[in-house]
Amino acid sequence: MSGHAADRAAELPADRGSAYTTLLSWVTTVDHKRIGILYILTATFFLCVAGFEAILMRIQLAVPNNTFLSPDVFNQTFTMHGTTMIFLVGMPVLVGFANYFVPLMIGARDVAFPRLNAMSYWMVPFGGIVLYYSFFTGEAPDAGWFSYAPLSTTPYNLQDGVNYWIIGLAVLGVGSVAGSINMFATVICLRAPGMSLQRVPLFVWMSLMTAILTILALPALNSALAMLMIDRWLGAAFFEPARGGSAVLWQHFFWIFGHPEVYILILPAFGMISEVIPTFARKPIYGYAFVAGSSAVIVLLSYSVWAHHMFVVGLGQGADIFFAVGTLLIALPTGVKVFNWTATLWGGAIRLTTSMLFAVAFLLEFVIGGLTGIMFAAVPVDWQLSDTYFVVAHFHYVLIGGTVFGLFSATYYWFPKMTGRFLCERLGRWHFWLWITGFNMTFMVQHFLGVMGMPRRVYTYDDHPGWGLLNGISSAGAVFMAAGTLVLIWNVFRSLKRGEIAGPNPWNGFTLEWATSSPPPPENFPVVPEVKSRRPVWDSDHPDMADWKAARTADDSGRRPDRRKVLAWAFIASEAVFFILLLAAYVVFNSDPEMTGPTSSTALNVPRTGIFTAVLLASSVTFLLAERAMRAGNRGGFTRWLLLTIILGLGFLGGQAWEYTGLLQNNITISSNLFASTFFTVTGFHGLHVTAGLIVLTIVWTLGLRGELKERQHGIVSGVGVYWHFVDVVWIAVFSIIYLRVLQ
Amino acid sequence: MNLFSAELWNWGSPVWLAALAILATWLIVVQSVSRLWMVLAGLTFLVLAYVSPVGVLADGYLFSAHMLQHLVLLLVVPLCLLLALPPTAPSASPLPRWKQLVSIPLIGWVCGVGAMWFWHMPTFCAASIQYGPVGLIRDLTFLVAGFLFWWPVFSPTAACRLAPPSAIVYLFSACTGCTLLGIYITFTTVTVCPAFANPVDRVGILTMLYNGGFTPTVDQSLGGLLMWVPPCFLYISVIIGMLCRWYTGGVVAEPATVGQPATAGQADSPPS
Repeated sequence: MSGHAADRAAELPADRGSAYTTLLSWVTTVDHKRIGILYILTATFFLCVAGFEAILMRIQLAVPNNTFLSPDVFNQTFTMHGTTMIFLVGMPVLVGFANYFVPLMIGARDVAFPRLNAMSYWMVPFGGIVLYYSFFTGEAPDAGWFSYAPLSTTPYNLQDGVNYWIIGLAVLGVGSVAGSINMFATVICLRAPGMSLQRVPLFVWMSLMTAILTILALPALNSALAMLMIDRWLGAAFFEPARGGSAVLWQHFFWIFGHPEVYILILPAFGMISEVIPTFARKPIYGYAFVAGSSAVIVLLSYSVWAHHMFVVGLGQGADIFFAVGTLLIALPTGVKVFNWTATLWGGAIRLTTSMLFAVAFLLEFVIGGLTGIMFAAVPVDWQLSDTYFVVAHFHYVLIGGTVFGLFSATYYWFPKMTGRFLCERLGRWHFWLWITGFNMTFMVQHFLGVMGMPRRVYTYDDHPGWGLLNGISSAGAVFMAAGTLVLIWNVFRSLKRGEIAGPNPWNGFTLEWATSSPPPPENFPVVPEVKSRRPVWDSDHPDMADWKAARTADDSGRRPDRRKVLAWAFIASEAVFFILLLAAYVVFNSDPEMTGPTSSTALNVPRTGIFTAVLLASSVTFLLAERAMRAGNRGGFTRWLLLTIILGLGFLGGQAWEYTGLLQNNITISSNLFASTFFTVTGFHGLHVTAGLIVLTIVWTLGLRGELKERQHGIVSGVGVYWHFVDVVWIAVFSIIYLRVLQ
Repeated sequence: MNLFSAELWNWGSPVWLAALAILATWLIVVQSVSRLWMVLAGLTFLVLAYVSPVGVLADGYLFSAHMLQHLVLLLVVPLCLLLALPPTAPSASPLPRWKQLVSIPLIGWVCGVGAMWFWHMPTFCAASIQYGPVGLIRDLTFLVAGFLFWWPVFSPTAACRLAPPSAIVYLFSACTGCTLLGIYITFTTVTVCPAFANPVDRVGILTMLYNGGFTPTVDQSLGGLLMWVPPCFLYISVIIGMLCRWYTGGVVAEPATVGQPATAGQADSPPS
């Protein structure tokens, strides 16, 4: 970082130099470019950590019956390797690139909410610290990166590792959702004039799709984490079959998040490839609308195929058939894109830079990972190969052959923009060939090991014919990848000091990030260029052959919604998924008419809660009246109606406290039975949301009272309103399902 | 016994009369045969929903057939009939009040998704099976709700249609709505529609169904999956159509917005 900072300082005016060189300026920065770099550097640090864990595992598995790692340590190592690579490397590095380049590519000055952006970033190191602190407590998490219940519940996992895993992931989840909401609002609200959504660069489009996926998928994990935490800390039994819970429910919840997560990790790489290949083939992308549109379809379909991770659970033939068909379908929009990229190369004036080499390697290696993925859609094949090394090989071909090669390609492509200097091409080729060799050595042979029956996650194996040799090849490959990574890191350090100077547009790129200096100034663009097509820089460089003359694209309507309203809507969409899953858990656990202990019909006072429901719903009406008064410029009316809203909200919370007190006095606690666990979880989280809403309302009320709510801040009040009405709508669902028992 | 056994077909269903009435009304009102095939497709689905084995089995035997019938009535028939309406010419005068009302997307969404949820709550589901008039009301509400649901997407009046991005959100959220119901029906241990748990064997096929594996539990989970997956694929197909419309449409003369100040829409107020 310091080398980079010094380099930046050399390029900046002297009066800014001192500020830029201080660590403090990096810690307190809200500039999207610096935050992007922080994300990338943090992810690189954790890449080294998780890579080291991988090396440890490959040493252990290099020969049969090895004793280098104990079984316990091996379990912790593969759990931490997987968790780190997904949450602390894959997601942050992709978010980092999106942070740096999306505002540049859409001609914006920054992201929609720069301070929220800084908060999202700082969640990454904090989450990482919480996760890795577990090593100091004696045991790191050891239940695998998807922490299947009941292995992850207290009867089977008494140490603190899984607790740190839960908290670490929750912290990272908050950061990811906040970052994605920010990215969503940025693309929707801050595009330069003329840039319709049909004209955004494909990396921007993919980042938008990834943001939507994250906003809607992460809460599924959060609800599962909340329930697992309540199981472990408060003695509930959501995921403990021995006490009536359901271990399969954890799998459902985890994979409702987990499958979209695969696309969260691969779509940005698709975007990167879709920028690199056209630039180095000197052609526009072949079938822009298909690449973009099919990604939108992937987003929608990705929520309906999660159960293909659960074929071995025994969901029944009907469910298996439907999910198999869904899985085969989602392969189509992914697979056809490979033809788009290939057709873009066809007839192009190809320049085989290191960036392009990685892009071409992406096409080949990702296809292998994709094809083995389609094999798993066939249920009997899945039964045979599930939990073997074939799965390990498959997802590493997707995540390394796809995501990592896309990232390497993007690194060589955009490094000149980020630093003003090229990465060394000669070292780049060393990096490329070391990785191609090492990666295929390590993971290609794992396909064979899987077919031969070697289970994943075993700390060692007997000396079966061929197993030792293949594992030895696999481990040797890891050394090549480690060496390649060291070459990349050396290349970065060397190029920062001595790399060839790159101008504003060293590759003759087409999109707006190349329309400004390298590195860009803090404000990004002195003048925002005119956007009339998908390749504005090409248009300005070649006015006679401009895209907008040859192929017209949909014009910009010029409408940009209020970013605070967009934030509020995206946030409640995310929260809605969280509550839907909690309510689903309630329905699952309360459909058994034979349940012993308290139930909703014996323990709850429905008429009394009905009255408090009316109180809460009335608060939505008073809020609407407050908003109307605000629009009419009636400050007194506004604060009075808002105060009434707060009082009604407090009244509802009082009712909830009354209800809880009665239940606790009757010895009904969160651990009494599954009704009590689900009841307290759903209503408790709703109560927390009401409390958060009341705090925000009080802040707005205070501002209104002091007359500090300017007209241009009315968007804030509308945003708060969206949230408050949402809390009420959730309560209507809670009241109908829990108190009125409409689904029982 | 096979699919073509006489017991499984109900040729005497009064649905023929309804189909003829719709066809006659359409011919009188539209006075053109250019989209006749679409009307005929819709009416074929309507007739098949009652006359074919789907209709016979839906009547008290199989929950899954019952679900299939609902999907045809709610999603397929209204869609075909709506697409059969000739596009209305754009006009400068404001839309009639009824068109304004049915074009409010929330109404269509709530009708479409709500009809499915409402008629699959155990009480209402059982009532509609047991009492013929309630069943008739249910089927009519499906047709009307389906019409209202598709109106904002495929209205013959362009001004009533949602812009493609909004239509995508509309359809995706509807997909989520039916997915939730589908998941509930597929995995719940509650008997969603008690009438199907112990069917009255009117035409003597119950043993064959049970031997074929259609026990009430399997039947219900199949019904749930039908609720869940096929509508979502239909919605996604329509979404693909919307994406095509979005990427190919909207190309007009010089954009009005180019030339506005560069900071328009950007951070014009303090950051968060």
